Amino acid sequence: MPESYTFGASLASITCHAWNKDRSQIAISPNNHEIHIYSRDGSDWKLADILNQHDLRVMGIDWAKNTNRIVSCAADRNAYVWTQGDDGKWKPTLVLLRINRAATCVKWSPAENKFAVGSGARLISVCYFESENDWWVSKHIKKPIRSTVTSLDWHPNNVLLVAGSTDYKVRIFSAFIKDIEEPPSPTPWGNRKPLGQMMVEFRNSQSSGGGWINNVSFSSDGNKVCWVGHDSCVNIADANNGNTVIRCRTGYLPFLSCEWVSPTSVVVAGYSCVPLIYSLTSDNKLVLSGKLDKSQKRESSGITAMRKFQSMDRNMRTENTDTVMDSLHQNAITSVRLYDGDKASAAKVSTSGVDGQLVIWNVEEGSLNGGMRNLQI
Amino acid sequence: MAATLKPYLTAVRHSLTAAMCLQDFPSQVVERHNKPEVEICSSKELVLTPIVVSRNEREKVLIEPSINSVRVSIAVKQADEIERILCHKFTRFMMRRAESFIILRRKPIEGYDISFLITNFHTEQMYKHKLVDFVISFMEEIDKEISEMKLAVNARARTCAEEFLKRF
Amino acid sequence: MAKNTSSSAFRKIDVDQYNEDNFREGEDDAVDSAAAGPDENEITSLLTQGKGVEALLSALQNAPLRCKNQHVKDHALNITLRVLLSIKSTQIDQAIDSVEQNDLMDVLMKYIYRGFEIPSEGSSGHLLQWHEKAFAKGGVGCIVRVLSDTNRA
Repeated sequence: MPESYTFGASLASITCHAWNKDRSQIAISPNNHEIHIYSRDGSDWKLADILNQHDLRVMGIDWAKNTNRIVSCAADRNAYVWTQGDDGKWKPTLVLLRINRAATCVKWSPAENKFAVGSGARLISVCYFESENDWWVSKHIKKPIRSTVTSLDWHPNNVLLVAGSTDYKVRIFSAFIKDIEEPPSPTPWGNRKPLGQMMVEFRNSQSSGGGWINNVSFSSDGNKVCWVGHDSCVNIADANNGNTVIRCRTGYLPFLSCEWVSPTSVVVAGYSCVPLIYSLTSDNKLVLSGKLDKSQKRESSGITAMRKFQSMDRNMRTENTDTVMDSLHQNAITSVRLYDGDKASAAKVSTSGVDGQLVIWNVEEGSLNGGMRNLQI
Repeated sequence: MAATLKPYLTAVRHSLTAAMCLQDFPSQVVERHNKPEVEICSSKELVLTPIVVSRNEREKVLIEPSINSVRVSIAVKQADEIERILCHKFTRFMMRRAESFIILRRKPIEGYDISFLITNFHTEQMYKHKLVDFVISFMEEIDKEISEMKLAVNARARTCAEEFLKRF
Repeated sequence: MAKNTSSSAFRKIDVDQYNEDNFREGEDDAVDSAAAGPDENEITSLLTQGKGVEALLSALQNAPLRCKNQHVKDHALNITLRVLLSIKSTQIDQAIDSVEQNDLMDVLMKYIYRGFEIPSEGSSGHLLQWHEKAFAKGGVGCIVRVLSDTNRA
């Protein structure tokens, strides 16, 4: 059964959310410049801290699981790395992004020694810690990005970075920082290259133009990259298969977020307000393999058909003005995160949306086969 | 003629649902600003293809979407001179109070009678499907209102003329 | 400061348009010179034979979406509209079923919307029927692709 939570009294949209390692705490941003940290208190959530350093809307939050640090970026061109002190309160450390437009997204690398920030300045800042001055410094990846970077994801080897942008392209760059790490071994995407060199570039669609990239994600082994664009399509590119792209046109509204839950399945969610699972079949096609939201059409509690017609007649309503939607989420889903498991095999995912709800779904229940498993004669 | 009303409104509803997929987008051109891209048109890649849904030569809806805002312009049916005057006055009345309307634009787009500007902030505060419902019911209501007003004007004119001509 | 130029027109140019980093439209789009649009004669002959469905498929498959020449596109639009309007209401279902490939569905929807822009006697009503049936098959994703595709019909 999906668990649904709301945080605080106001049903403000949740811009983004991030979990800590054991999922006992969550960092969310309620559509403003603050970050709220909630810790689990039984089946409820208790406000633990408010991080209030940004001036404008917070655009991205990521929680480094092992080193327990939070990185946040906002539309005020800043990013901060937060570390928890002994008293449980979080303290910010300055990050020198050197960007002149809003920061749009942020992700820790798998080894958590660096993170990447995408921005409206048409570049990516890859930041690492400089201990002499106790701040985070950045190196820029600029060419050939032509528009705002909307999403980022790291390859498991800690060096490759995939970026999606509103110039309709998905690009894989090398984000190798020689000061802090050893050179990586070659991957199916190419041999090692210095920072900022592009390994591969994909257009959102080969046959048609356009479609901003809303989200990108590397698979668990890093050999496949999945992206969702504004043309309501889910695409997967496979490095082991000559960089061929498998594309699935859907009849849903565009997706805003995607995440791998197995080596062949991704969970996607977006404006249609229901999370869906798409899987790669054995003949290299991408098909819809499950819906996580099994909500039935709602029956308004206790109103009989007679009463409904009476009220329609009295108020001269000609249409069903039902405010409540059939799905659990009442407005677009903006973010999908792994809750239980990892990209190779995830049991639960969490989604947060514009309606201010955070819902945790069972991936197994969603798949068309999984639903049958619990049925008994 | 009336047979096309329902398909027309359904087509507009589906087109609006598709166009109202808006996300927050800080300006690429000016730092720390957030502007509706459909109005600014500074970056071509952020604006989508405008579409028109028409019921006949006179009634149509223009939908111009972009990444964080959508502009919906409606051309209302105006069969004769008096409907034209009534429509002009009615829409002018509403546009002067555009602030209370929240999503109304103060000036209509060239060639249309009234325009809405819906941004991602509106879709965050209000349900998207209810915004679409509102625009559709607005389109239905405005036709009814103008017909009613026309009847009222004609009735008053008739009464005035009767009273005046009773003298003779 | 003494003016050393008599013209101050340089003050009025929009510097941002010369920024190298700006998005350039259609930079790496391969111009599809092969697609010169549907063959008018072929379509006309199919229509006079009453084979509306085949005419539609031919028009959609040869749509010059990537062509930069607006005349070619307008010509193709007129031909496709003629096909759409000549297929009777009862035949629309059959025509839609025959559109197998998903991307042809998107092309059809693009032409329906373009058809709305140039209304003629009774055309909008007919196109509304087409829209309803095409939506039933393609879903709202089909309309989204009309909006997001930079290759316009």
